Amino acid sequence: MTQAPQKAQERLAQIGNHLGGSPDGSSSKKGRSSLLEKHADDVVVTCALRTPITKGGKGGFKDTQSADLLHGAFKALIERSGIDPALVEDIAVGTVLAPGGGATEFRAAALAAGFPVTAAVKSLNRQCSSGLQACVDIANAIKSGMIEIGIGAGSESMSTQYGPNAVSELSELLESHQEAKNCKVPMGVLSEQMAKDKKITRADQDAFAAKSFQKAAEAQKQGLFDEEIAPLTVKWTDPKTEEEKTITVSKDDGVREGITAESLGKIRAAFAKDGSIHAGNASQISDGAAAVLLMKRSTAERLGQKIIGKFVQASIVGVSPLLMGVGPAAAIPVVLEKTGLNKDEVDIYEINEAFASQCLFCINELGLDQKKINPKGGAIAFGHPLGVTGARQVSTLLTELRRTKQQIGVTSMCIGTGMGMAAVWVAE
Amino acid sequence: MLEFRTQGYNGYSVKYSPFFDSRIAVASSANFGLVGNGRLYILGLTPNGIVAEKWFDTQDSLFDSTWSEAHESQILTAGGDGSVKLFDINVAQFPIQSWTEHAREVFSVHWNLVSKDTFLSSSWDGTIKIWNPNHNASITTLPTHSCTYSAQFSPHAPSVVSSVSSDSHLRVFDLRAPASASNHLTMSVPIHTPPKPRMGAAAPVGVPPSEALTHDWNKYRDSIVATAGVDRLIRTFDIRMPGAGPIAVLPGHEYAVRRLTWSPHLSDILLSASYDMTCRVWTDGSAMGAGTMKQENMLEDPMVHGGGREMGRMGRHTEFVTGVDWCLFGAEGWCASTGWDERVMVWDARAIMQ
Repeated sequence: MTQAPQKAQERLAQIGNHLGGSPDGSSSKKGRSSLLEKHADDVVVTCALRTPITKGGKGGFKDTQSADLLHGAFKALIERSGIDPALVEDIAVGTVLAPGGGATEFRAAALAAGFPVTAAVKSLNRQCSSGLQACVDIANAIKSGMIEIGIGAGSESMSTQYGPNAVSELSELLESHQEAKNCKVPMGVLSEQMAKDKKITRADQDAFAAKSFQKAAEAQKQGLFDEEIAPLTVKWTDPKTEEEKTITVSKDDGVREGITAESLGKIRAAFAKDGSIHAGNASQISDGAAAVLLMKRSTAERLGQKIIGKFVQASIVGVSPLLMGVGPAAAIPVVLEKTGLNKDEVDIYEINEAFASQCLFCINELGLDQKKINPKGGAIAFGHPLGVTGARQVSTLLTELRRTKQQIGVTSMCIGTGMGMAAVWVAE
Repeated sequence: MLEFRTQGYNGYSVKYSPFFDSRIAVASSANFGLVGNGRLYILGLTPNGIVAEKWFDTQDSLFDSTWSEAHESQILTAGGDGSVKLFDINVAQFPIQSWTEHAREVFSVHWNLVSKDTFLSSSWDGTIKIWNPNHNASITTLPTHSCTYSAQFSPHAPSVVSSVSSDSHLRVFDLRAPASASNHLTMSVPIHTPPKPRMGAAAPVGVPPSEALTHDWNKYRDSIVATAGVDRLIRTFDIRMPGAGPIAVLPGHEYAVRRLTWSPHLSDILLSASYDMTCRVWTDGSAMGAGTMKQENMLEDPMVHGGGREMGRMGRHTEFVTGVDWCLFGAEGWCASTGWDERVMVWDARAIMQ
């Protein structure tokens, strides 16, 4: 009779499944417990990694092309996951600054990294959420049956591609429309105004930023990033001697130790004389790449891929262009509603720190527990290579959830021109 | 409305005898069929209400039963332990025959209405088995590779077998077809195919697959099969046009539909039992004059299809309703239902129809 409890369990699960469906297809099964169930058609992550993230213009990747960074991430992904590259059907790469969207060189990077010609590649640009959008696009293509195995990635070389050319001029037509015109207001300027309007003080911002540095420095010291980072060997020109060297970068080089709210308090504001935003409490300009391997659970089990987490659901919400920083505060409630979670059931939130002011605003607005936000620091400490961040958050989140034996995480970011995106992930 | 309590046992199926209008069999299970014994009740409808004429206890849960079409006192049960048992109500206590070939819970049994020396069983092990009561082993095994909640012989053709299963497919097998690699399978219809788009209504969007729990052959129109399940929709299909999608879609139940049965008297009338604790009577819109007008209307829900509608509901059950059956005799409209509330109810569907 030892079998009996298991049998009862199976029968109960069967009945439970009967109560799930609904005619409009939106499963009425929601909430934490149903999220933690494992089903053959779940979209799971079997490998998520990133290159180190290095300082724009100065760091280890300052002379490396975006596509080369991507190439490095791809090679590491193939090696670590052990996936047969021929099984990968589509690759989506988020990137913001690459001219022409990076479509040509990313396809080339995939081929050079060992993917056969049958693996399709696309690039996409949803500003700062491009990396997440890439993962979500791939997950949705898998869900719909369009592909079986895919990679969501992000790549950005702000060192080589950031500059005045990154934004094109608006036409007269668009300039004459008030809200349309706002899309062009520089992010620092509008965030400054938003901080003022929403009464986020400089002291609070500096304290938040200092905390990010401290958490990141501590995490780096403990080696908590080592698992997700794929070291990359690149050519690097020494700015002093003009000598070209070959170096291996294996650590985020933007993380500084000994930063305190007081030390940040001395930095001059960048966007307004009486302003509150400065280089120390905004995200760094950085270079890097990240990649996430996605497939159905049934596929992963068939191939013997090790499942590290699953993608559950994502949301995208538009907000006013001038309030682009509130994006996560708009997108997170939507994704929680879709999944039937309440905010306290989420174990870790990875919310991109574009600016301390907007991140802090979102945390306060949603009433989130500070301890659950970016436990290993964020973009203020190690950088925000625009198109990478969304894919980078997946590896950062899943490794931390597993290390702390927790399960449910949310990644989110604000998006230039006024949007927010969020996604729910489960670590396994 | 007459009522009987299956004290300590939760109903899973109710079946009227094809020989006597006053005899009903109820397959039931202790502990909601999760673990423990099963019990087959033989109930008699008497001037003094419903009385238990006899019952048989089994080691494991019972999920379905079907009366023998050949012998008035014999009845088959579907067991949680994978067994199919034949009971004779003139024999005390034990089954007169038991077959154990299924590897998992047997969820439906059905006696062939035409060729009365065969019956079938379907199981969570992903197979349908065809049996002869005089043989110790099954005659044929039809694989579905999917938990098969319901299987039937066509009431019109003795060699045609149909099933629905958790993979959202309606399968039709023809035992006359050669036993090739397809194992007699002649048709596999995705139940979740959206209805064909039509003028004036938005094209229906993709419908996700969902477990199909029950189906039944129309007793008059020999190519019409109704299905229902977890997505709460009742659909009818014409197996002459397997690619055409459902010809009628009937939304209304608020939870999964557990049992579906066509009227033995009227060709367009269906009776359903659901986890939403109701039994509902439906017309599929095929009867002359019923609902055709609506079809041409604009701006309708594209999933509402075929002009059918709910005609009434019985909400007296207080738990999941799992079984429902029509009485074959007398005035059309009498039926019986059972559910997890340990109750069997006998009622007149005409009283609830509007």
